[in-house]
Amino acid sequence: MKPGFSTRFNRFAAWVLLMFLVLPALVAIPVSLTPRRFLSMPQGEYSLRHFETLFGSPAWMSSFAQSAVIAVSAAFLATVLGTLCAIGLWRIASRAAEAIRALLLLPLVVPPIISAMAFYRLFVPLGLMDSYAGMILAHAVLGAPLVLITVSASLAGFDPKLEQASRNLGASTFTTMRRVILPSIRPGVLAGALFAFITSWDEIVVTLFITRFSIYTLPRRMWNGIRENTDPTTAAAAVVLLAVTLVVFLIWVLLQRRARALNPQPE
Amino acid sequence: MSADSAQSGGLAITGLVKRYGTVEAVAGIDLEIQRGEFLTLLGPSGSGKTTLLMMIAGFQDATAGDILLDGRSIVATPAEKRNFGMVFQGYALFPHMSVRDNIGYALSVRKRPRREIAGRVEEMIDLVQLQGMEDRLPAQLSGGQQQRVALARALAFAPPVLLLDEPLGALDRKLRIEVQAQLKDLHERVGTTFIYVTHDQEEALSMSDRVVIMQSGRIEQVGTPQELYSRPRTRFAATFLGKSNFLHRDGRVWALRPEKIDLHVGSSGDDRTTGKILSQTYFGSVLNYRVETTEFGVLEVDVDAWRGGAALRPGTVVSIGWHDEAVVPLED
Repeated sequence: MKPGFSTRFNRFAAWVLLMFLVLPALVAIPVSLTPRRFLSMPQGEYSLRHFETLFGSPAWMSSFAQSAVIAVSAAFLATVLGTLCAIGLWRIASRAAEAIRALLLLPLVVPPIISAMAFYRLFVPLGLMDSYAGMILAHAVLGAPLVLITVSASLAGFDPKLEQASRNLGASTFTTMRRVILPSIRPGVLAGALFAFITSWDEIVVTLFITRFSIYTLPRRMWNGIRENTDPTTAAAAVVLLAVTLVVFLIWVLLQRRARALNPQPE
Repeated sequence: MSADSAQSGGLAITGLVKRYGTVEAVAGIDLEIQRGEFLTLLGPSGSGKTTLLMMIAGFQDATAGDILLDGRSIVATPAEKRNFGMVFQGYALFPHMSVRDNIGYALSVRKRPRREIAGRVEEMIDLVQLQGMEDRLPAQLSGGQQQRVALARALAFAPPVLLLDEPLGALDRKLRIEVQAQLKDLHERVGTTFIYVTHDQEEALSMSDRVVIMQSGRIEQVGTPQELYSRPRTRFAATFLGKSNFLHRDGRVWALRPEKIDLHVGSSGDDRTTGKILSQTYFGSVLNYRVETTEFGVLEVDVDAWRGGAALRPGTVVSIGWHDEAVVPLED
């Protein structure tokens, strides 16, 4: 059967909208391939010289390393905190717990600029300015609510009878958590960890407020690169940033599919 | 294994109460359970039978009263220290663990040696006849197989008491009857005290040593299935376990089971009354008649279908009789 006019129009509109959303993110790819010395679209000729500059530059490479260390550590911290918090709230399951949950999700709602000012005010007296510890802490705070959301979603599908069964069979609260609850909510924990990683990996607003000289994450160096000159190396860095984010996202998609395949909901 | 588990398992429940706000889910229960007994808590939903079981398991705190295991109070003991096996409604098998790991879980959290766990798991697999299924996940098993894994898991650490919360609810009718026989057989082999919760009167009658009929958080009547069926004490007990007619005579109410009524066309010496058939329903093994009698109102009468020959048509006039011991006086 041939699709009617309105169906075809809907499809066309959907594609236009999709392009509108996705294409700007991809514009860095052709720009990074320009053979010229300034930010421009390549015309007929392509070159990898900016990638060469990028990977040959100690400054850019150190930024990669810094971003990676901070994002991995912040994601780890956010995952531990967010998971414990989600399990705690799930076990209490009262109106007070719901209020606390809403409070804990605030970092998602509060404009980043407000968070940034708050961290600045707090970190100066604490001596955490421009340090790994401060960056990891701040990014963990931003990522933890995401973990709370994904783990809570997993727990909503967790049968509380499994916990009772574990205790009935003689397992302590800790053993029950390690051997029964955590394996059952693993997809939610992993998803939260990946989201927390991405949050830190491309975070710029808070970073600008709480760093000075020694911490130069990838987004911060790109920000400077765009502001101070129009070096296409920035575009090459953007492509790498995007690629890492996409890979992490892809891992998440694959994990979701595997979790569904392994754990078909019985009845 | 009958040796280690039969050592203990006698329970005494005294004055047990569970209150939620102003609602009493369990309203004062006194009950002695012998070691090795198969005891069924039977009642409609909301009768408090599941709450009572959860209190014995340790998942619900008692508002008042005491539970004694072999003479020692256990109300302050947390669930994980009570050592009671339990088969949950829906089984609650650990979905990420194989059949082997599910069954071995209780021993593994008790830090038993690997070799001992493996041996015990094998024993339990044999007991519930799941050979060849050791490495499957629960999602790869049928409902009946899952139910047997749940049983094996709960019995693996030789608990003195096994609690069963409507374990057959998820099975279809034919399988349920099969599993009833298996459960009863298993009970005889392991010698553990079984406390079984159900709302199904057939399960209660076919498996139990004793049945506790519960209503509104209280015990309505306790007895062997035969006692409860032949001598119900209250109207509720008479209708919840089987069907019954109620006769009003000498200012009392009497229960009369439909199958204990004799029905025939024409009259004989010991007829009690006559009546007219209102309707008849065929159930395979029995024919059920509703008869409008002259003295006792409408009575239900069950006749063995194979005996009756052709069904009597509505409107047929019949004579009705019964033996003296067929009518049982009720308290309410």
